[in-house]
Amino acid sequence: MAELNQIDLRALTRGHKRTWDAFVVAAAPLINAVVRRTLAPYRLSEDDVLDAAQDVFVRLCAQDFRLLKTYDPARAGLPTWLSVVSRSCAIDHLRRRRQSTEPIDDVPEAFLGVEDRHVEKLRIPDGLLTARQVLILKYLYDEERDVLEVARLLSVDAQTIRSTHHKALQRLRAHFREEETGGGG
Amino acid sequence: MNTQRIPRSDKELWRSLAIQLPVARVSAPAAVSEMDLAAWLEGRLSEEAAAPIEAALAADPTLRRAALDLADILGKTLPAAPQRMVVRARALVGFETERVGGGGLFGRWFSGRAPFAGPRHALQQGVMAVAVLVIATGGFMVGGGLGESLAQQREGYPATGTASTTTTTSNEVSEFFAGDGI
Repeated sequence: MAELNQIDLRALTRGHKRTWDAFVVAAAPLINAVVRRTLAPYRLSEDDVLDAAQDVFVRLCAQDFRLLKTYDPARAGLPTWLSVVSRSCAIDHLRRRRQSTEPIDDVPEAFLGVEDRHVEKLRIPDGLLTARQVLILKYLYDEERDVLEVARLLSVDAQTIRSTHHKALQRLRAHFREEETGGGG
Repeated sequence: MNTQRIPRSDKELWRSLAIQLPVARVSAPAAVSEMDLAAWLEGRLSEEAAAPIEAALAADPTLRRAALDLADILGKTLPAAPQRMVVRARALVGFETERVGGGGLFGRWFSGRAPFAGPRHALQQGVMAVAVLVIATGGFMVGGGLGESLAQQREGYPATGTASTTTTTSNEVSEFFAGDGI
């Protein structure tokens, strides 16, 4: 990924062939990994994965590198931005592939099944919890993720996650205690 | 009023929010741009700037899983991509793209840009103009310029050519009339 950050973006968006080649070599492992991870649940063929990765590169250089020109190095590193773009492209590729239709009888029943995942929208009173607190609770409870995993994602230490979680629950408990007291008496 | 209730576990409390409370009034969070999500993943946003993105993540399980996946991938040493992928991607940009996009006098004309714009291009064009002038002058000198022999050739050849053509034509007409006995 270090090579990606050394790419001359101005030369790249001007269509400099050697810079593009260097960019492809540096970006391909990341794009490959993101596309594979995004498409993994759908069990697509190797050709599909390669096509989806090619879609990412096409999108980057299409219309005189319009998408690449929107990248702002002051806001995020090129690998991070590229990973987000790759994921979006892989999802678009999947949608297009599905639209191109396959007879329903040819699709194994297991693929048509919908995962019975109990996800409900929660109604948390406005202002009771911060967006970060809600997100942490959702990761810990709805996604059942590990504290360390969430900490790594939010670029904080595990203790901060535990503390945020604790404060959020305190607020929720206090709120419902008040509600019950108010309702009961 | 029940003040001696058994405390519910943290998870039960969380689940109870889904069961007890109506879904109404849950406002849909705004769409997150790729650049914003990337900035958030790197922890570069202020608390205020991060709040809408975190709200969007909290509301969308797919986006939540994607954020975790991307953070995981970005923190790993990645295996090399298949060679086929690299070859195909490289072929998307050729040297002609560079030429048309990068410039050159004709490239700039074809692309609709001002051919002599910019100080660097003014110098380039100046050098080109001098080179063209030197080549043209050299060619003219080697070719004899306005020498006497050239002038003679130019005067002599057309006159001879015209005369012979005229003579041939007049002979043919005479033969035609002679053949008819006129």
